[in-house]
Amino acid sequence: MPFEELEHTADVLMRITADTPEELFLESARAMFSIMFCNRGNTGIRHSFSTESDSLDSLLREFLSELLYLSEVNSTVFSDVSVTISGNTLQAEASGELFDQKKHAGGTEIKGVSYSGLNIKKEGKHYQVDILFDI
Amino acid sequence: MLEGIRKLNEIEWEVPKGFIDNMQVPGRFFLSDSLAATLDDGAVRQLANVATMPGIQKYSLAMPDIHWGYGFPIGGVAAFDMETGVISPGGVGFDINCGVRLITTPLKKSDLKDKKKLIEDIFRTIPTGVGTKSARRLTDHELSEIITDGAGWAVGQGYGMESDLDRCEGRGCMKEASMSDISTKALQRGLPQCGTLGSGNHFLEFQNVGEILDENAARVFGIEEDQVCFMIHCGSRGFGHQICTDHLKTLEAATKKYNIKLPDRQLACAPLTSPEGEAYFGAMAAAANYAWTNRQMITHLTRKVLEKTFGIDYDEMHLIYDVTHNVAKIEEHVIDGVKKKVCVHRKGATRAFGPGHRELPSDIRGVGQPVIIPGSMGTASYLLKGTAKAMEKTFGSTCHGAGRVMSRSKAKHNLRGADIISELAARGIIVKATSNAVIAEEAPDAYKSVSEVVNVVHRAGISMEVARLEPLGVIKG
Repeated sequence: MPFEELEHTADVLMRITADTPEELFLESARAMFSIMFCNRGNTGIRHSFSTESDSLDSLLREFLSELLYLSEVNSTVFSDVSVTISGNTLQAEASGELFDQKKHAGGTEIKGVSYSGLNIKKEGKHYQVDILFDI
Repeated sequence: MLEGIRKLNEIEWEVPKGFIDNMQVPGRFFLSDSLAATLDDGAVRQLANVATMPGIQKYSLAMPDIHWGYGFPIGGVAAFDMETGVISPGGVGFDINCGVRLITTPLKKSDLKDKKKLIEDIFRTIPTGVGTKSARRLTDHELSEIITDGAGWAVGQGYGMESDLDRCEGRGCMKEASMSDISTKALQRGLPQCGTLGSGNHFLEFQNVGEILDENAARVFGIEEDQVCFMIHCGSRGFGHQICTDHLKTLEAATKKYNIKLPDRQLACAPLTSPEGEAYFGAMAAAANYAWTNRQMITHLTRKVLEKTFGIDYDEMHLIYDVTHNVAKIEEHVIDGVKKKVCVHRKGATRAFGPGHRELPSDIRGVGQPVIIPGSMGTASYLLKGTAKAMEKTFGSTCHGAGRVMSRSKAKHNLRGADIISELAARGIIVKATSNAVIAEEAPDAYKSVSEVVNVVHRAGISMEVARLEPLGVIKG
């Protein structure tokens, strides 16, 4: 399971595990959109962006925050993201479909990606991170 | 209870300095013995974390709805010195000025013959849930006016009455709002969402006054037994979320720049006097103004539906009060016998100014500020009044709601939305939501007893019961 929900009283805490940083970013995005929308599909609507930050942890927050913004202003439900990370710079292309309340309703809006406890760790061969989403 | 925490009396507890390193002041929280069983360690650690922040005054406080959040605990209150203190989005949250308001109507419970149709009409009228947009898209100019004028903009446009403004904290506007440090992204998100409810724990609920607990205060506030009211809970939508996101980044850099040591990065902060601190404060105030306008627009839409459905007049529906739950404000408080200005952060807490406070409009000033405490779905809500004791003990603050005890994932796993709908329907309460999963997440069993929480603040004297409101029907995101 690339991501699982952990116990948290008020918000949604997700644990994401992956083999590479790129995969960790992709699965983090999938975890986030799984909270927000049901029945996500992909009709090939694409949005590209790049961002940079001073650490992998903050790069992940930037990446997820940018996706939240793009999803909202473009009314797009993302289901896939290709990610390239080079040093502290990230390039991404997110793809999905236009939001349709009849199809996608049932999730909860995410207000933000918390900084609390967001530390990417390498456990053996795997990368792992816990992300607290404010809903 | 955690080791190292001291019980001061029946309902007050202290987290002494030294509980964690670098605490500048002790922590204090209010909790009954039965609620103490629901307290999680994470919330107490977060309360102690806040006590390490520069310039904090007297105590790091938490109300009886305290629970584990991020940065501050939910239910957290802290005041910071204007010269040596800091401002932090961790003490406000992503949903800046998430708040609640209560509006009375001339209707009685028996007038609501077809509650189901009313709830469905409201659900169709108020955009609710993820991804929905307002029918009235703002222009850039209108958004800038909202940022400056708050709820006053909506009233000026005909979306409310002048008297509505008297019954909002600060007349629904923080004058410190500034356009200077608001990103294009935040503005883009603000344009289509003014007048939308959002999702999660946001709601619009019809209630009737089940019991008056303080006759005089109820009369002064303008509420009577069996009256139908509606309550709105929502905030600053994507506009506020983006402002928090943007400024967390600059404040994280500022934390390093000003060499502030913090136990949690979500407490990222800057001195109140620094350019970074001032920038966040101005943008946060802008989001607060947007949130008041948002609640005002939803109030207007609801009044129009009621006007049409029941043939009642728009001006027969009075705003009792609008309170904010997530905000930082500059206020004057007496600290160690000296009156001084401080920056009070309330994160999931309600302002509860006592009688005579000059911020209150003259018609209710003698009684104290109305305080509105929403219950969980299917349970009672309360109207209270602020007190002099709150001014002395909690920087004029009290609780904001029931507070969760069960995680959303556990609630979804253990409870079925469809069962909750039928159980509530059997009690005459209509629930309409975008999905059954939302209903399961927000089930009454997922929350502490609001009556117990209200009982604690009443016993502590930091706000006093005025009326109990019983749910009739609710829409949720």
